[in-house]
Amino acid sequence: MAIARNIVDIAVAVAEKEGAIRITRVNVVAGELRAIVPEQLIFGFGLMAESTIASGAYLALEITPVICKCRKCGNEFTIQDYRYICTNCGSQDFDTLSGIELRVKDIEVE
Amino acid sequence: MKINVMTDILEANDRIATANAETFKKNGNLALNLISSPGAGKTSLLEKTGDALKGKLRLGVIAGDIETMRDSERLQKHKIPAVQLTTGSACHLDANMVASALPHVDLKKTDILVIENVGNLVCPAEFKVGEDFKVVMLSVTEGDEKPLKYPLVFRESSLLLINKIDLLKYTNFNLKEAKANARRVHPELNIIDISCVTGEGIDEWVAWLNSQYQKKFGAKPRA
Repeated sequence: MAIARNIVDIAVAVAEKEGAIRITRVNVVAGELRAIVPEQLIFGFGLMAESTIASGAYLALEITPVICKCRKCGNEFTIQDYRYICTNCGSQDFDTLSGIELRVKDIEVE
Repeated sequence: MKINVMTDILEANDRIATANAETFKKNGNLALNLISSPGAGKTSLLEKTGDALKGKLRLGVIAGDIETMRDSERLQKHKIPAVQLTTGSACHLDANMVASALPHVDLKKTDILVIENVGNLVCPAEFKVGEDFKVVMLSVTEGDEKPLKYPLVFRESSLLLINKIDLLKYTNFNLKEAKANARRVHPELNIIDISCVTGEGIDEWVAWLNSQYQKKFGAKPRA
């Protein structure tokens, strides 16, 4: 619910700055690691958006996979089934490139 | 018309968390964000910890609860300074709630500040409160597959405490499996088995606190 409220706040602040009167769509990118439940977030967003210029806006969620880069062999791979191990060399030492993000990408306004 | 935004949804929270972290550093506090399911034993752990740290490091607690002041009342019986934050309907503490509690904590007289989050493994993992480390607690009366069900909190935590280890023989909890699951999502995770009833593992936990405190402040604990 707090996440839904933040999304509405961010979208409304940006839209008002641009002089928009209505937000029709909000595009959100959420990493798989965030374990967002789309139905819940969309429901929460609908509630929080009521009586704001985002009321009735469509919330589009893009879930991004967890992608890591191995520090030993440089292999880039997608984490599947939460198995944190390099698919090439079996190392457990790597950087997470994506999958943890949670951001408002863009909005569509009138 | 499309407007590019690219704003982190938790940015406002993270900004306050950074300010909290600076406050903790300035006041000489090692801050921990303690997360578990309801009933895993967070408050019992703090009671034990306060007793074990006596004369070494000074413990302070900010306890989050949806309602009631029970947790802070329990801690005060053990002479642990505790501030209760009732969150109303919120299922987690956020940086702003913690900031609002700080004026009520004597930070200058605190070495280890434990922020006891609301019992929940989902939302508390998302919201930084300014902690140095997250500590996740799991008890053997829960399922050993929890790390796979709630990977973010196990991924984000530095230490896993497996509590109620004295009850292991009465449950079908598979300790080996639980640890393997936790390390599957976080290979470098430290794990300590503890019992707040028998006191098993409490020394190791206190030693961990001590070493993290010294790593942060590089000095012997203040008297």
